[in-house]
Amino acid sequence: MNTIRNTSLYKGVQKQAHRLEQGTLDLLPDATFNKPKTVKMIGDIGHDISSAENRLILGVTALMTQPFIDARNKNVDEETRRVSVCRTISKIIVGTMTGYVIRKGAIKAIRSWSQLPAPGVSRYKTLFTPKGARSTNTEAFKQYQNAMGTVVALVVMMFTNFLIDAPLTKILTNLLVKNSGGDDKS
Amino acid sequence: MSIANFMENVPAKIANQWSKFKVHMLKNYGENPGKMLVHTGTLGWILSSLAQVGAVVFNDKISPEQKSFLIPQEVADAAVNILSFYLVTNSMKNVGAKLVSTGKLRTRRIRNFLEKNELMGKVGKRDFNIADQENFAPIADHYKAFKNGVDVVTSTIGSIISCNILTPVLRNEYASRRQKKTLAHMQEYQMKNIQHPKGISIADYQKLASLKYSANNSGLKI
Repeated sequence: MNTIRNTSLYKGVQKQAHRLEQGTLDLLPDATFNKPKTVKMIGDIGHDISSAENRLILGVTALMTQPFIDARNKNVDEETRRVSVCRTISKIIVGTMTGYVIRKGAIKAIRSWSQLPAPGVSRYKTLFTPKGARSTNTEAFKQYQNAMGTVVALVVMMFTNFLIDAPLTKILTNLLVKNSGGDDKS
Repeated sequence: MSIANFMENVPAKIANQWSKFKVHMLKNYGENPGKMLVHTGTLGWILSSLAQVGAVVFNDKISPEQKSFLIPQEVADAAVNILSFYLVTNSMKNVGAKLVSTGKLRTRRIRNFLEKNELMGKVGKRDFNIADQENFAPIADHYKAFKNGVDVVTSTIGSIISCNILTPVLRNEYASRRQKKTLAHMQEYQMKNIQHPKGISIADYQKLASLKYSANNSGLKI
């Protein structure tokens, strides 16, 4: 690795990357958040928003953008466009619903299975506790629980994607296509 | 080492790896929720893409000839999704983090710290980092909370731009081109194998292809 770093090509690319980075920083204006309420709100976002809330935000904003992008896609005929919009709406609703619930559930489960070892605490309740952890009340430990819960949720969703999302999306798409005045065999 | 000895050590090795994994998760994501959102979001795209590829690989109704054409396409689709998510979201997060660490984006308390330590002249310089300064300890908790908040906001904005705007627009364009190619390929295939049709009929396939490739079909985002 050091051999590559010592080459003039690497140094040249690195120099240009640094210039670009500095140029970007120079372009952006300075900003100071003066209101304590705003500062508290930004801090709370970092503290409270886990991947579950992030998925919910993505789903809500997806509903505000993706169906309109599909509806304006002139590369396909009108019928395909209509089915595509219905399918996109269904996918977003079902995906957001299961994504949020499973992530939230997994994070909650990890919180109860990552307790500190102590007399009276069963072994499985420490299954997810990292070695050397001294307190479960720190911000770092809370973020660790969020991360571990999200990883577990992703594994669970590999199965629910087929078992819940796919059939529910099909049912909802058919319903939407039917109600939008088309053939429901999508 | 004999196989028996090796098998005897397996549970201990698994326990050791599990313990290392937990410590790694705590070290990497405990202080960095924005990074966690980017990495788990990318992992989510990878897993959902694997599911999409798996759905083609294990679908008995698709013939091996059709699979040889569809699997590389699913892999290419997955690469577009994963790369666009990671690049856009991670870049946004990095810009946000750099703005905070160089003092361009700050709170009044951080500004007071910079002024008190005569550091305002260094604000916005790419190699300047507030967290590396002397006397940083009294504002450390305040700075970390603010930085984590900005990280989460920027990575969320990045994922909205990537998942909800950029990827659907790019995919619609890409999908319409792919639909034409798929149909042309299938017609060619039909001509070659007209005596021995395999798998589903070309008419059924065209119908499926028009639904699959016509518009914004990304598979299911988990």
